[in-house]
Amino acid sequence: MIKIPPAVLSRVAKPARYTGHEQNCVVKDSSRVDAAFALAFPDVYEVGMSHLGLKILYHIINRRSDAAAERVYAPWPDMEAEMRAAGIPLHTMESFRPVAEFDVVGFTLQYELSYTNILNMLDLAGIPLKSADRGEQHPLVIAGGPCAFNAEPLADFIDFFVLGESEEAVDDVAAAVADWKRAGKPGGRRGFLARAAAIPGVYVPAFYDAAYNADGTLAAVTANHPAAAPVVTKRIVADLEHAPYPTKPVLPYLEIVHDRIMLELFRGCTRGCRFCQAGVLYRPVRERKPETLLRLAQELVDSTGYSEISLTSLSSADYSCLKDTVGLLIDRFKDQGVSVSLPSLRIDSFSIELAQEVQKVRKSGLTFAPEAGTQRLRDVINKGVTEKDLEEAVGAAFRAGWSGVKLYFMIGLPTETDDDIRGIAALAYRVLDIYREVKGKRGARVSVSVSSFVPKPHTPFQWYGQDAVAELERKQQLLKSLFKDRSISFSWHDAHVSFLEAVFARGDRRLGEVLLAAWRRGAKFDGWSEYFKFTVWQDAFNETGVDPHFYAGRERTADEVLPWDHLSAGVDKSFLEREYRQALAADPTPDCRRGDCRVCGVCQGLGVDIIDWGTSS
Amino acid sequence: MSAKYRLEITKGEEVRYVSHLDYMRSIERAVRRSKLPAAYSEGFNPHMKIAFASALSVGVASEAEYMDIELTHELDPAAMGEALARHLPPGIAVRRLRPVSARHAALMAVVNLAAYRISLPLPAAAAGPAREAVSRFNAAAAVPYIKENPKGKREIDVKTYVSEVSATATADGMELALAVRITPTGSIKPAEVLKVLVDNFALPADPDAALVTRTGLFVADGTSRISPLDI
Repeated sequence: MIKIPPAVLSRVAKPARYTGHEQNCVVKDSSRVDAAFALAFPDVYEVGMSHLGLKILYHIINRRSDAAAERVYAPWPDMEAEMRAAGIPLHTMESFRPVAEFDVVGFTLQYELSYTNILNMLDLAGIPLKSADRGEQHPLVIAGGPCAFNAEPLADFIDFFVLGESEEAVDDVAAAVADWKRAGKPGGRRGFLARAAAIPGVYVPAFYDAAYNADGTLAAVTANHPAAAPVVTKRIVADLEHAPYPTKPVLPYLEIVHDRIMLELFRGCTRGCRFCQAGVLYRPVRERKPETLLRLAQELVDSTGYSEISLTSLSSADYSCLKDTVGLLIDRFKDQGVSVSLPSLRIDSFSIELAQEVQKVRKSGLTFAPEAGTQRLRDVINKGVTEKDLEEAVGAAFRAGWSGVKLYFMIGLPTETDDDIRGIAALAYRVLDIYREVKGKRGARVSVSVSSFVPKPHTPFQWYGQDAVAELERKQQLLKSLFKDRSISFSWHDAHVSFLEAVFARGDRRLGEVLLAAWRRGAKFDGWSEYFKFTVWQDAFNETGVDPHFYAGRERTADEVLPWDHLSAGVDKSFLEREYRQALAADPTPDCRRGDCRVCGVCQGLGVDIIDWGTSS
Repeated sequence: MSAKYRLEITKGEEVRYVSHLDYMRSIERAVRRSKLPAAYSEGFNPHMKIAFASALSVGVASEAEYMDIELTHELDPAAMGEALARHLPPGIAVRRLRPVSARHAALMAVVNLAAYRISLPLPAAAAGPAREAVSRFNAAAAVPYIKENPKGKREIDVKTYVSEVSATATADGMELALAVRITPTGSIKPAEVLKVLVDNFALPADPDAALVTRTGLFVADGTSRISPLDI
C-alpha cells in the first residue's frame, strides 16, 4: 500500500483529489479476486469522477465476487512532479496499490486530446507504453468509449478495445480474465488476447495488419490471426430497463464537474444531425420507463444525499415521458431539498415550460444550440430547427423571466460561406430584438460560443476536409468584427485544438509515433488550455515525418479505405454516404423514431428496436 | 415548531485534506441521507440551516468542531445522533449533541479560542535546537509578522494571538501545543505560527511535513475555558 507523505499533500493543489476514503467506494482485497481492474480516466479527478460510464463499469465489476474494480485518475502536473520526485508510482484510490499490480488497466476514451495522458499514466505506473514491449508480468491494457470507434492512433499502446456499450461486454471480459487466470494463464498474454478476440465487440489491434498505398492512403486493414473477425461490431444493450445502473455511486468530497445525481433517461438519439458522432454510436433510442427512473432516483437520493437530480441523455427534451417524469420527480423530492435539472434543451416552447417548472432560480441563463447561422446550413447539417423555433423559444424564455441566453454554434461546417457566418451574428442580434419586443426595453444578455467543426468517424461528414486553421481563424475574426453591441459576448475555441482533434479523430496507426514523440516532448493535459502547446505537436509531426494535414484537411473519396472501416457502429457506410450527398443538397432527413425508417442499418443489423414509451402509452 | 441542535463533531485523518466548504457539504449530504427533518431557508435557492463555529484550513484535522443545525421539529437527541452517525463519511463522527434554544448566540460569535497540536517529524539531533527555538518564542515580548491575504499585507504581533507554545518530545520528533485567540478583528493560523517559528526562531523543521490538529474550540474568559456545547 502506497502512503503519500503529508509534505507532498500539503504542497499540491486540492490534495483531496488523492486521499480517497470517499463514501460508497468499494474496497475489496484485490489480491484475493481473480480479475482486478484499475479503471483509469485520463484526466483530472473532478472530470473523471463526473463520468457516468466509468461509474457503470465500477458497479458491474464490483458486484462480481471474482472481480474488483478500483479507480485511478491522472494526477494534476503538480502532483505528478511530486510523485516522480518521491518515486511514487501511479496507484488506485481504493487500496492505494500500484496500478502495475492489477490484472487489467482500462482506459476510457472520451476525447482525442486525452491520449497523451494515457501514455503519461502508463509511464507513471511503470508499464511499458507499447503493447509489444509488455511482458507476462504486466497488466492487460484495454480501452473503450467513443474514441475506440477509431482505435488506430492508439493501436500500438492498447492491448484490446471494447466497442460500444459495455454493460454486458465488461462481464464477458471479467469472466474471460478470471477463467484464464484460474486455468494458469494458458498461452500467456497472446493466449488471452486470442480468447478476448472471440468476445463480440473486442478488437485486438495486434491481430490486424495495415497496408498503405503509394499515395499514403490506407490499402487495407487485414486480420492476421484466426480469432480476429474481419469487422468488429459494437456491443449494445437491447433492454435498458433491466440494465444495471449505479445507484450507489462513489461520492466525492471535492466539488466535481457534475456534482449531482445523474439520471440517464434514455440512450441514443435519432435526430440525425450529420456532424454528430454520438448520434451514430448510441443508436437506436432506448428509453427507460418513468417508474423505473423514479425508483433509481429514490435509490440515488438515499445513497448520496445530493440536492440535485440532473436528467441526462443526448437530448433530454426528446424523452417521450419527460413532462410526467419531471412532475413525478419534483413531487417526490421537493420536501427533501432536492431539485431537478435539465442540462440539454431543444429549442421549443415546450422546453421553456419545463425549464420554468424545474428551475426555481431565474438568474442562470438558458442554453440553445442552433449550431449554424442560416436555415440553409441548418438543413445541410440536419439540425431540424428553424429560426421560428428559436424565436418562439427565446420569446417564451424572456416572457418567463429569463434575460440571459447562451447560443452555441459551429464554424467550418461543410458548404459554409461567409453569409452563414454573418447569419450567426444576425441570429444573436435577432435575440436582442426579441427581448425588446417582449419586454419593451433593452437588457438581454446574449453569449455566443463558437467551436470549430471536427469531422468525426462514423458520421455522414467523415469524408469532409476540415477548414485550415487560418481559414477558421479568419472566420472567427469576421464574426468578431460583426459584434458591436456590448450586450453580446462572443467566445471561440482555439482552432489549433480542433485541428489536432481532427487529426486524431480520423488518424491511422502511423499517428502512434507522433503521440509518443509529443508525449516525450512534454505534451499532457492537451484538453486544458493552460497546458496545450501546439508547437510541441508541430515538433512531433516534424520529427516523425507525419503530415497532419493529410488527416485533418484532406477531403476523402467515397472509395477510400478508412482507418475505421473494420470497426462498426452498426450503421451502414452506404447510409452515411447517402446522408453526405443529401447534406450537400441541403436536403433534410427526418427523425426515424416515429416511423419512416431510413434504414441506417442499426436495428436490422444488431437486432435491436427503438424503445419509446410515449408511442405505446 | 422548529428546533435547534448543537453538535460536537470530528474531522479525522480520512478527511484532513478536505476543505472547509467540502467538509460542510459532506455533512449536509449526510443529513439528507439520514432523512433528518432539516429546515431549509426560504427563497429561490433554499439552503439547509446549518452553521459552523470556525473554518479549518485544508490539511488541518480536528477533534472537536461545532455546528448548529435547525430541524423542522424536535427529535430525541440520541436518535438523531444515531441516524446521523450511520450516514457520516469516514473521519466525521458526532461526539456530543444537545438541543439549544433558538435564542442561543451564534457559534461564530461566541467562540474566541482555538487549541491546536502540531506534530513535527524531526531528526534526533534537531530536538535540542527545536526546544530552544520554542523557548525563545515564548520569551519574546512581541513577534511581528506580515500577514498576507488577497486584499493586501498587514503587520500583526503573533503574541496578540498566541502567548505561549509548549513542546513535547515524541517518538519521531516533537509535538507543539498552542492556543490561538480568535478576536473580532482577526486571528492567526497555526501554519502561520509554525512559519514564524521556522523563519524567525530557527525551528529546524519542514513546515510542509507538519500535521496540524485542532484539539478544541472554546469560549474563554480570563480564567476558564468552556466548550460551546456547555454554554
